[in-house]
Amino acid sequence: MIIKMKDVSKIYENGTIALDHVDIGIEKGEFVFIVGASGAGKSTFIRMLFREVLPTEGTLDVNGRDVLKLSPREVPYLRRGLGVIFQDYRLLPEKTVYENVAFAMQVIEAPRRTMQKSVNSVLEVVGLKDKCKCFPSQLSGGEQQRVAIARAIVNNPAIVIADEPTGNLDPETSWGIMDIFRRINLSGTTIVMATHDKAIVDTMKKRVIAIEDGRIVRDEAKGVYGYEN
Amino acid sequence: MKIRTLEYFIREVFVSLKRNNWMSLASIGTVAVSLFILGMFLIVVLNLNKMASSLESQVQISVYLEDDLNAKQIDRVGDRIKNLQGVDDVTYIAKEKALERFKERLGEQKFLLSAISETNPLPNAYEVTVKEPQFVKTTAEAIHEFDGVESAKFGQDVVEHLFDLTRLIRIFGLSIIGVLAVATVFIISNTIRLTVFARRKEIAIMKYVGATDWFIRWPFLMEGVVLGCIGGLIAAILLRSAYAGVTEKIYNTLAFFPLIPEYPFLNYISAFLLIGGMAIGAIGSTISLKRFLKV
Repeated sequence: MIIKMKDVSKIYENGTIALDHVDIGIEKGEFVFIVGASGAGKSTFIRMLFREVLPTEGTLDVNGRDVLKLSPREVPYLRRGLGVIFQDYRLLPEKTVYENVAFAMQVIEAPRRTMQKSVNSVLEVVGLKDKCKCFPSQLSGGEQQRVAIARAIVNNPAIVIADEPTGNLDPETSWGIMDIFRRINLSGTTIVMATHDKAIVDTMKKRVIAIEDGRIVRDEAKGVYGYEN
Repeated sequence: MKIRTLEYFIREVFVSLKRNNWMSLASIGTVAVSLFILGMFLIVVLNLNKMASSLESQVQISVYLEDDLNAKQIDRVGDRIKNLQGVDDVTYIAKEKALERFKERLGEQKFLLSAISETNPLPNAYEVTVKEPQFVKTTAEAIHEFDGVESAKFGQDVVEHLFDLTRLIRIFGLSIIGVLAVATVFIISNTIRLTVFARRKEIAIMKYVGATDWFIRWPFLMEGVVLGCIGGLIAAILLRSAYAGVTEKIYNTLAFFPLIPEYPFLNYISAFLLIGGMAIGAIGSTISLKRFLKV
């Protein structure tokens, strides 16, 4: 299992119980949707995977590392095995598309000779090779999200973690994005995606984990969204 | 650290200096002013110390003998002084020679002596120098107890006053330097805070993609050090030209004043200011990184 949560709880300092004794395992190469209402604990679940949030109790293994026992020094190496994508893209406005993607390689001191090749190949995957000299402000929302995806996968992560990646996009554009995720998944990368998008979850027919009030209430292999939007 | 990474850091530092240009200038300015003042006090204190110790090492004990001693008795006193521990040299000054010297010192005013005409009021004396300054006081006291010695005196007061003065300047200088150093550290840390704030998005992304903490910190630390270093450089240049001007003036008017020569003294001071500037810069940015850069 590439992600293994055992009896994980998260209680914030203000007393909010975000996750309540969660047990879950995700196999390598799986495509998993995390669904649930706002405030149900989806975000906490997602953010724990890249150790932005630490569990209050329980054990959590991600990509072969015990997240709770990681020293601060080891956290970057956990994150190098993960690609993270957010609803708001988080691109650097003063850098071009190419530079935004290359930045992810630069800051982990990846060798220069592989950089150009890797960046060009991921830009091809997301279909933005001809816009590599554009700045984010010159791109549509869907295109910006594709740059973010390219940045997330350029270091060949084992797991791609996406928090509402289509939350700001219209349905048409969302499908384009989901197609990219599907292809990334086909190459063997595990994908964990929190989403509100009923149409996407129902159509993709992937594993669905539903969280309510910090508990897993449903875990289905080829699930549906199961809530009314 | 890879060369390419270093290149990246250096580029980041300059982008950042340009982005916060006014704040950077303010930081450099305060570092320069603080270090200039620090250097000034350093130079003054070191010079006074030198002066004090050169005076001290020149301190002679004047041993005045009682009037009615014969030559043999005078020699005996001289031998006893020579045998004391720590005594370097003993010179006999007969009263006639003392009068001669006194006349020389009076110069054009030697007519004053005509009032006492033929009688010589000065005593026979020994001039005693000691090997180490700390022997002066004990030696003088020991000699004072000898038979045939009227009194043994040395320029204790002058030396002690000089030491009081240097101590005062040192304390005053240190407190001013302390205040200035704190202010400088504060200004640099503010500049770095602005930089951290301007780059918070980049920092967040760097964290998500797995940059190490030190990779994130280095450019900020280097920025602080560069600010401090430039400030130190300016202070050193200003101080060198100021010292050159002041020494020239002093040599022209007070030739006997034992100033420390410019070289290599000023090189040490300059190196000290540069290193001081860099240290202040490093401390300033470290404070900011601790408080504002949650990596």
